[in-house]
Amino acid sequence: MKWFAQRRRILVGGASGLACGIAGGIAAVALLAGGASGGAREAGDSFITAGHLPPLLTVPGQRVTLRYAIVCPPAGGDSDAGRPCDGAGIVYIRSGHSGPFEPLALERSAGSVDGRFFADVPSAIASSPEGFSYYAVLRDRAHGTEMTLPAGGAAAPQASFPLRDAVTVDLGSHVFGSPRRASARVVSTQWGTGAGDVGLSGGKTSARIGPSSFDASPDGTVTLLDEINHRVQRWRGGAVVRSVPVDVPAAADDLAAAPDGSVYVLDGRSSAASTPLLRTFAADGRLVAARHIAERSWSQLRLGPSGPVVQQSPSEQWMPTGDATTAFSRAAQARHGDPGRPLDDGSQLVVLRAGMGEVRIARVVNGAVRQAWRITSQTPLGEVQVADRTGARVVLVVKAYTNTQDEFELLVLDGRGVVKRFSVASSEWADAAPLARFRLVGPALYQLGSTPEGAFVDRYDLEGVS
Amino acid sequence: MKPLIAFLGAFVAALLLSGVTAARSQTFQSANCNTATGQPTASLTRDWSQTYSLAAAWEGYQWGGGCWNNNDVDEAPNDPPEHYTGGEGGDCSGLTFKTWQEALNTADGGHYYSHRLRNVHGPYDAARFRDGIGAPNGTISKAYAGVMDGFASSSHVGMIFFRGSGGWDQIIEAKCEACGTNIFSETYRGQSAYGGIRRIGWTG
Repeated sequence: MKWFAQRRRILVGGASGLACGIAGGIAAVALLAGGASGGAREAGDSFITAGHLPPLLTVPGQRVTLRYAIVCPPAGGDSDAGRPCDGAGIVYIRSGHSGPFEPLALERSAGSVDGRFFADVPSAIASSPEGFSYYAVLRDRAHGTEMTLPAGGAAAPQASFPLRDAVTVDLGSHVFGSPRRASARVVSTQWGTGAGDVGLSGGKTSARIGPSSFDASPDGTVTLLDEINHRVQRWRGGAVVRSVPVDVPAAADDLAAAPDGSVYVLDGRSSAASTPLLRTFAADGRLVAARHIAERSWSQLRLGPSGPVVQQSPSEQWMPTGDATTAFSRAAQARHGDPGRPLDDGSQLVVLRAGMGEVRIARVVNGAVRQAWRITSQTPLGEVQVADRTGARVVLVVKAYTNTQDEFELLVLDGRGVVKRFSVASSEWADAAPLARFRLVGPALYQLGSTPEGAFVDRYDLEGVS
Repeated sequence: MKPLIAFLGAFVAALLLSGVTAARSQTFQSANCNTATGQPTASLTRDWSQTYSLAAAWEGYQWGGGCWNNNDVDEAPNDPPEHYTGGEGGDCSGLTFKTWQEALNTADGGHYYSHRLRNVHGPYDAARFRDGIGAPNGTISKAYAGVMDGFASSSHVGMIFFRGSGGWDQIIEAKCEACGTNIFSETYRGQSAYGGIRRIGWTG
């Protein structure tokens, strides 16, 4: 009897141990899972960002309104779902590009389709012969957070320049369906993972991404970023001459190649709680540097006179990420923000796509407009893929589109107007970095395209443009 | 003493085994998300939608998904493509559905707030958004699309966070597993594969 009682106690002890253990195990995992996702900020937590389209280039008589979207949580959190936050802000503005700023309080409009907060620029400032410069301090009054836009503030404010003697070009309505044939196909690949193939991600129900960027050099070498296969391919004479592995995300990264063979890759991934990373790789694919850009997102990476430059958002400014000897911190990048892309001769090329069908371009030297163009079109114009100087001329590649058609329009411009003009098929079957479809190298324009079969790079010879 | 030893032995074994089993079956979605219904709201402003969608940034991408927290970490990275694994994040159409405060009933054009942790994708894929299917959804000429209108193709959809200076747009989108969810500069406006889309019934 005692033996049975003892056995019974052992069995009961074991059974209750099992029960408690199972419950404890599940509870522990649940707690750990919660902990892993715990720390999640609630809706009332504060953050602030903004949207702003700077009026980089104005035309005579233009009324200028600065508009801002202030993005921050509503005062009541979830209970205020659907309602805007309690934003406010002050624009500090001045005529020209030096001297003290004067404050201009932002007003609040009923709608937010172009940004809820606005300030009309006084006409005396808007019509200043040197243009004007400004920055904004934006606030979330409910939570006390604020931000300065651009981040460089008074040290690197937004700049706007007047176009007084711009060369005007009226493109009329774009005629679709007659694109020019390329001079040569210099890269031709199929989708895949083998040598000479390029990777493709996505599918029927998700975004397709192919080789996301490329660059070309004066000797005709094409550097192709095959980020899905984590490698950089170098093509010459229609064949791969070198392929090196690089540790980059399989996203829509941008690339710029330096003359010494090193490449810069700007990541198209959403880096956790930080800004995108610009990596520098040696010619053999070895990672030699990595730095975060100043702002939350970017539109393009190019090689400037002193190193890589990145056009960043929300400021829309071009910022160098370093010079020959120093990698710039995020704050230092912001302090060097400029409205235009720096060119080798020390000038800047400022570009604004205005309204629905206008592109404004200005070459700015020592803070003043030296040359300017206004290109207007009856057909809506999309993104400016290329605005670059070659010799005394400017090459512009811009998208012309309707709701159902699209082609690129190429223009070679000089001081009198259009020197050359033709259309290029868009060939955008797979996604790439937003402004990595074209590269201009001297008188050669290269295009990265894709089809259901694979990707290619075509060359268009712009004879006699320099 | 023996019953106590039996208890402790069984407890430890069960703790380990059940923990491993539970961990295997536990996903971000099963551990964190809920199936609450959407709450009717009177307002739907474009700038609130900017704020709401931005909470999904850095939370990852989940094909077929619609649940995320707000700690800026993708807790289920590296999923296989076009497979639902219960990970964190929305996909492109799930993010759009929740940001635009839509109802599961496609005939209902009202505004319904979904908490981030409400696990709902909604009845629309990218192609249905592109075609303006459902009472809350419409199409718009791309040249006129403004803040928190969108662009959709047969395979992808994103919303305009703000216009860029050179004719591109800053798009808030759940883009791909490796890309995650964030604001990216895109050229969808000029691509013929994409149509302009809008939420009907903005209140400001």
